[in-house]
Amino acid sequence: MANVTTGSAPVNYNEEVVRKFIIAAIFWAVVAFAVGCYLAAELTWPELNLGYSFTNFGRLRPVHTSGAIFAFGGSMLFGTSMYVVQRTCQVRLWGGSALANFIFWAFQFFIVMAALSYVMGFSEGREYAEPEWHLDLWLTLIWVLYAIVYIGTIVMRKEPHIYVANWFYLAFILTVAVLHLGNNMAVPVSFFGAKSYSAFAGTQDAMVQWWYGHNAVGFFLTAGFLGMMYYFIPKAANRPVYSYRLSIFHFWSLIFLYIWAGPHHLHYTALPDWTQVLGMTFSIMLWMPSWGGMINGLMTLSGAWDKLRTDPGLRFSVTAVGFYGMSTFEGPVMAIRDVNALSHYTNWTIGHVHSGALGWVAFISFGAIYYLIPVLWKREAMYSVKLISWHYWTATLGIVFYITSMWVAGIMEGLMWRAYDAQGFLQYSFVESVVAVHPFLMIRLFGGLFFLLGALIMVYNVFKTIRGPRSAASMLPNAALAAGE
Amino acid sequence: MASRGFSHATIERNAFLLIILAILTISIGGLVQIVPLFTIETTVEHVKGVRPYSPLEQAGRDIYVREGCYLCHSQMVRSLRDEVERYGHYSLAAESMYDHPFQWGSKRTGPDLARVGGKYSNDWHYGHLIKPQSLVPESIMPSYRFLAETPLKYDNIAEKLKTLRIVGVPYTDEDVTLAKADLEAQATPGADSDALMKRYPKANLVPGDGHEVTELDALVAYLQVLGTMVDFTDPSAENPQQ
Amino acid sequence: MDNQTANSIVGFMMVPLGLLGLLLAARAVDVEMEIFGFGLVVFAFLFGFSTIKRVYDHRDAARAAARKEAGHG
Repeated sequence: MANVTTGSAPVNYNEEVVRKFIIAAIFWAVVAFAVGCYLAAELTWPELNLGYSFTNFGRLRPVHTSGAIFAFGGSMLFGTSMYVVQRTCQVRLWGGSALANFIFWAFQFFIVMAALSYVMGFSEGREYAEPEWHLDLWLTLIWVLYAIVYIGTIVMRKEPHIYVANWFYLAFILTVAVLHLGNNMAVPVSFFGAKSYSAFAGTQDAMVQWWYGHNAVGFFLTAGFLGMMYYFIPKAANRPVYSYRLSIFHFWSLIFLYIWAGPHHLHYTALPDWTQVLGMTFSIMLWMPSWGGMINGLMTLSGAWDKLRTDPGLRFSVTAVGFYGMSTFEGPVMAIRDVNALSHYTNWTIGHVHSGALGWVAFISFGAIYYLIPVLWKREAMYSVKLISWHYWTATLGIVFYITSMWVAGIMEGLMWRAYDAQGFLQYSFVESVVAVHPFLMIRLFGGLFFLLGALIMVYNVFKTIRGPRSAASMLPNAALAAGE
Repeated sequence: MASRGFSHATIERNAFLLIILAILTISIGGLVQIVPLFTIETTVEHVKGVRPYSPLEQAGRDIYVREGCYLCHSQMVRSLRDEVERYGHYSLAAESMYDHPFQWGSKRTGPDLARVGGKYSNDWHYGHLIKPQSLVPESIMPSYRFLAETPLKYDNIAEKLKTLRIVGVPYTDEDVTLAKADLEAQATPGADSDALMKRYPKANLVPGDGHEVTELDALVAYLQVLGTMVDFTDPSAENPQQ
Repeated sequence: MDNQTANSIVGFMMVPLGLLGLLLAARAVDVEMEIFGFGLVVFAFLFGFSTIKRVYDHRDAARAAARKEAGHG
């Protein structure tokens, strides 16, 4: 493609690795959503646990969480970051094609091994950090190589100015490295066995785990995906980012404040009060830079709002930003100690997680996927714009069912647990709350099934697009691709 | 958090400056919240009665961790009135000081287990874990029959205690040497358990069935000790600062 | 550093990786480590050979392009 800034020879971008990661992301999305639906079904009809060790809820749940966050989310982040860094730096991905390929396949191996290990009964017992020590080391290797490739590309850039999307991707890569190393400090019982014991215990361990756990959300699922947003929304809307100043402000305040939010997972526990209050206060402050990002993303559409009617892929991305705003308001509210006293341990937390995971993370990914597929496979457009729209409405309906059922279930549970009768005794036994939420767990299952159905529509559309004819422009001898940024 | 409008361009044109500043920015919160927890008295103090897990209890705990029990059951009674009334005294930091990893949990699909020890008989636990619905008809918990059918692998129990010692659990040399014997004593009905009880007070003997020790035996031994170590009726036990 | 040198280095790194996998699988005390070890061996094997293929495919393509140039030149 002609290099628009320097007018020099076209850059031979490494798109092979990006294609691989996007396909992997779509595959893992379906797997993760399907396992999630099965888990929801198990909670609704426990016979579905089947009595086997490898199908029960406790062993399958990390397959779903790792699948959604790391397999699906991770593949999206790897793929889009490698695409964006090349295009915005105007150079080919650093390190050679074999290294990029290694990162891809090594990561897929990590995912498969992690899932296999969970169902076989190996887990560190830490949420979103379940893989045992040897898999953690393997991931560390992959991550170091990824950082080298990404940073190497930036260092070798032709465009002197580092685009804002890359600040977010960089912050994500660096922080995840720190978090991963900090939270997975463990001593194996044997170097030839999977079992290990965590270096920390009790309260200290709880703090380290939620310093990690909240920032897995903050940096893996937020900063990294904001990087995605900052490239794909302006690109699809053909508009510049709304405010440069706002980007600077919200970037630095976001990455500074997010780290402190961990203790809001530990309100009223044995964690010291001062730590809990810090967590609450910083979580509330975090609302501002989060909404700064939301405003920047949404207002980028000004002058191009009509595109929301005609471009359902862009519709996904913009809706994602809306859900991002919703979740980053709900989060600070739930971080307030008195609200948390009701919400902690209930299904409200699950609802909150999924409004962010489905509404923000998945939707911004779908927006990026629908933009990238035609570009990466040199097709005129997606096979069917109508199917994108079908995906959009099915998925949105799914999200609405999911979060509303979880709000009702969660608040009901919380209220039932603390209810006193007229004589001053606790009114409900625990199991009565289990019975009460049953119908809402069923509705949640249907929400998840709708979301899965939407993803299957996407798979069909992507399949037909890739199998379809190449674009006319790409068939010319001096093929001119869409201009890079 | 200041917006560096006019000089931010310097950062944007220098990859290493961007990297260094980002790393510094994200390091502060973690250091402030994590480091003091290793020095402040109320988080590191010891409370009378809290002891390392016996070998059988630790083996049971390892099963609890690998099965993901913490995903549905919390082990943390919060300092809230209704919670204390339902589950017992709120959990002290010291009670989980030997928990590698901590298992406070973040969801109650089932009830909190921090003080489940001694609330139900061993038979109840065996029945419940094999088929929860037989004891709690409305339960949505899966069956853990496979634990009753799986012999406990404990050849490496001494290595496990040694590893825990490395990460700070104060097992003595005697504990390590006698690990296997202690485990068998706790799981064999009629065995001489005096030595075990001296080093691990309040350990619960699980009935077993005369055959080999199963994973279910270990898990029940673990569940039956939860929340029982600290004697809250003893006024000298609890530090009022907690 | 040109692409093919980088590719070759990655390829050679598969040897110690495969050997590590073999060691882990051989001395594994549980089934998970055994599977991980064998997985590493298979991975190193497949990836190593794919890298060799990649390097030689590139050489063949370069040779073919040079021949085409000479033919038209």
